[in-house]
Amino acid sequence: MTPLAISLENLSFRYDKKSTRYTLHVPEWTVQQGEKIFLKGASGSGKTTLLNLLCGTLSPVEGEVKLLGEAFSSLRSSKRDTFRARHIGVVFQQFNLIPYLTVKENIQLAQHFGGAKLSGDHELTELTSRLKLDADLLNRTASELSVGQQQRVAIARALVNQPEILIADEPTSALDSDARHAFMTLLMEVVQTTNTTLIFVSHDPSLAEYLDKTVLIDELNQAKEQAQ
Amino acid sequence: MIFRLATKSLVNRKHSVMLTLLSLVVSISVLISVEHIRHQAKESFNRTLSGVDLIVGARSGQLNLLLYTVFRIGSPTTNISWDAVNELERNKLVDWVVPISLGDSHRGYRVLGTSRDYFAHYKYGQKQQLVLRQGTEFNTPFDAVLGADVAKALNYKIGDSIAIAHGLGQVSFTKHDQAPFTVTGILAPTGTPVDKTIHIPLSGLEAVHLKPSALSQYLKAGESGSYPNLRPDSVTSVLIGLKSKFATFKLQRSINTNKKEPMSAILPGVALAELWQVLASVENVLRVIALLILVSSLLGLSTMLLASMRERRGELAVLRAIGAGPLTVFLLIEIEALMLTAISILLSFGLVSTLLWLSSDWLIEHYGVFISASVFTPTLGVAAGVIFLLSAVVAAMPAIGAYRTTLQSGLAVR
Repeated sequence: MTPLAISLENLSFRYDKKSTRYTLHVPEWTVQQGEKIFLKGASGSGKTTLLNLLCGTLSPVEGEVKLLGEAFSSLRSSKRDTFRARHIGVVFQQFNLIPYLTVKENIQLAQHFGGAKLSGDHELTELTSRLKLDADLLNRTASELSVGQQQRVAIARALVNQPEILIADEPTSALDSDARHAFMTLLMEVVQTTNTTLIFVSHDPSLAEYLDKTVLIDELNQAKEQAQ
Repeated sequence: MIFRLATKSLVNRKHSVMLTLLSLVVSISVLISVEHIRHQAKESFNRTLSGVDLIVGARSGQLNLLLYTVFRIGSPTTNISWDAVNELERNKLVDWVVPISLGDSHRGYRVLGTSRDYFAHYKYGQKQQLVLRQGTEFNTPFDAVLGADVAKALNYKIGDSIAIAHGLGQVSFTKHDQAPFTVTGILAPTGTPVDKTIHIPLSGLEAVHLKPSALSQYLKAGESGSYPNLRPDSVTSVLIGLKSKFATFKLQRSINTNKKEPMSAILPGVALAELWQVLASVENVLRVIALLILVSSLLGLSTMLLASMRERRGELAVLRAIGAGPLTVFLLIEIEALMLTAISILLSFGLVSTLLWLSSDWLIEHYGVFISASVFTPTLGVAAGVIFLLSAVVAAMPAIGAYRTTLQSGLAVR
């Protein structure tokens, strides 16, 4: 049996501590290692909350988030940050990169927080060439890149620590249809090669075809039925 | 890596950072200047006179006696008799006596009548003796030795003739020009009121105040070989050196209780300390103003950091996503503030040092104040350390804000 990448058990979260209603309640959800999940849902349905819980930037009120067999949500905050840096890659819709740092520095920063040895130019060029980025972009600041280039650098940064889990939060919403297709093709190619577990969030149903399985957040989130 | 990130983040916000830096440099420079000038002024003040155990003058307050004898400020209400001076000289506790007579001037500079012992016993700073830069001490009653500032300002050379005038004004209607003095010596600069003084023998000072007929006779006698011995009836004050310091209070008490002539004997060190106490309130006001400027600048630094938090929410969320903990975010903001403060402190020290170095000649020339350009003193080092710590404290508010933002908002950057 394939080991589990993600396991949620009786997971509950609410932003307002005084409220009796949960924002998110997931009785159970598991994702196997290497699975590519398309997480679909309307705005405000709890997608980003779930991603924050998976990344450990929010802590559940109840229940447990297990990642790669580790009780992730029970770890101390600093341990959670290190775990995230080493095992989870994140790609956003925008603000993916720190604009005043060069491409190289943006990537090396993720290595720094992951406690890894910083890659040299040669290793970085290898990584970026896999993502079809020119080597001369390494020393350009992120603000000088096109949106498409920025998204590819974001993938490079997310993968530099060779994480087992990659979380992509609507990374294509700022791209036109051609760029979107190119981005998805490239992303799937890279995650297939590295056997990375992918949680891809979007409200665009046309992207489901690139991934293995579609999960509706509304089906996952039982918060409405779980008022205390 | 975090330092590089902090540096690039500051460079990225260069306009607001430059304004904050400028405000910090100005305020820290003001603080350094006030502290340094205060320290130097106090030192310069205290170095005016040393090696003198007692100053004796007519009965008055000790500040008044100190001001007119040492700083040539104000005038005595009355003099002390020459007999009293002789009596002091004969006292077995006394090692030496230097009489001082004030009251005349030359083009706004004070004329001081004294004996040759003045040059041997008057000391300043760390018991430094007066040194002649050119010429000799006075040998005849009509010789004059100029302070360095007088010679420089009035462009006098050895051999030049000067006429002293009665009173202290720039312009006088009673000039003693029938008996001019010849410049025989020019003193090296001391950074004390000596630099602004014209020194002449007591006999010369006495002579110019003789009636015209008596003065003519006196001058004729001089031309024919030797001037008659002319002693003053009274002098303004006397500087006294004792054989033993232990006798200071004993002699002071005996002078202050002298039944024959009302006199005051003061200890220069105590009087200088009392005078500095008078000036301390001004010093404290300056300090408070400088501190207020610094506090407002540090609050400006905090405001700048707080204002940048909103635009940096995306950046902070990215940092969190790639593994930076809230503590790292807190440290990033603190490091930015401390880097700005460290640069401001270095620039301020450089600026104040350069300005003092450039203006040192002007300060000596116009105010007779010697301010060292070397501002790197232990006291100011401590002050810089305190500023550094204060900036860490004021940066804590935006840093905690960033810490909380990253804890609460998670990866929500939209």
